[in-house]
Amino acid sequence: MLKRPSSRRRSNHAEVTLNLVPMLDALVTMISFLMYTMAFLSLTMIESPLPMVSSEENTQQLKEPPLQLTLTVNENDLLLWSPFDRIPQTTIPNKEDKSPDLLKLHETLIGIKQKYPNETKLVLVPKSSTSYDLIVSVIDASKNLDKTDPVIVIKNEKTGVEEQAKYLFGEVVFGNLLGGDE
Amino acid sequence: MAFHKSIRSRRGRKKIHKDFELQLTSMMDILVIILVFLLKSYATSTNSFSSVPGIKLPISKSQEMTPDSLHLIVTPEAITFETQRVIEFIQTPDALNGGQPTYSFKPEDIDEGGMRIARLYDALNAAREKAEVLRAKSSARDANGNPLPFDGVLAIQADKRVKYDTLRKIMYTAGAAQFRIFRLLAMKQDQ
Repeated sequence: MLKRPSSRRRSNHAEVTLNLVPMLDALVTMISFLMYTMAFLSLTMIESPLPMVSSEENTQQLKEPPLQLTLTVNENDLLLWSPFDRIPQTTIPNKEDKSPDLLKLHETLIGIKQKYPNETKLVLVPKSSTSYDLIVSVIDASKNLDKTDPVIVIKNEKTGVEEQAKYLFGEVVFGNLLGGDE
Repeated sequence: MAFHKSIRSRRGRKKIHKDFELQLTSMMDILVIILVFLLKSYATSTNSFSSVPGIKLPISKSQEMTPDSLHLIVTPEAITFETQRVIEFIQTPDALNGGQPTYSFKPEDIDEGGMRIARLYDALNAAREKAEVLRAKSSARDANGNPLPFDGVLAIQADKRVKYDTLRKIMYTAGAAQFRIFRLLAMKQDQ
């Protein structure tokens, strides 16, 4: 025989209405505050130091000539070269729509980075007519590593520990800022 | 007239139920969704950079934050440094009608072989001197007890159509006024 259900549970059937008004007040206040303090314009930056002129003595004191990877932005192509001939000169022609082939540039730079993993500097030499938009795109392709890129391992000079590179060539300097027209 | 009005109002009153309650649950749902969206896309900012009408910024994949610094804006009409208009570009009829801006300097604004922008140099130099005086008065000191050196950081916010020739003149002028680091501002690309 089944046990008789408790009468206490049945008697407690008065409807409880949750008072949502204070919660609504809190939500409206929070939304107002968030909308007031929110930064709708999402800005980022690309940092570039002023190039420094190194003396010839400093260059001679180095054990081997520096890579000084230089990227010249021409009207019809991109040119990757080293003033000390550490890498073969590479020309990346523009695409059919005459825009620079940034994907090919990125791939080429990954190859160079794999060969010189501790190199971080890139000297950028745009033409006078190069637009700011193109400069930013070229720096993006030269500086940032994508998630799909191969892992590049670098040796931390301070700790001696091997770690994954965060940037491709993180320090971009304008090579013709102080002189020389093109 | 008053009699008719009274009857009308009595009839109207009958239609309202005594136990009428506003349904707040659906409104709560909407507000919670808005709140979640805002919290997800919330980005606090420690700088005073804002959008400037008339300029289109380039888009960058860089994810670096933009700390506050001295701020230079290049619009199609002029160069503004810290809310002060220092240089006005040459305006052509085409540019005034919404065409391609020239971003060309007036000959009297340029010196040092066409590289330095004279009035911009004066403004940048004055800002550096002011910063150095403030640092000298500040209690913050380096290890040797000297005032902290001028950081020399300049944020440049320019239209994406600006040519490198104009940018180079600006950076050359800033370099002459002992600004050593340039921060080129761009719109963050969504990942």
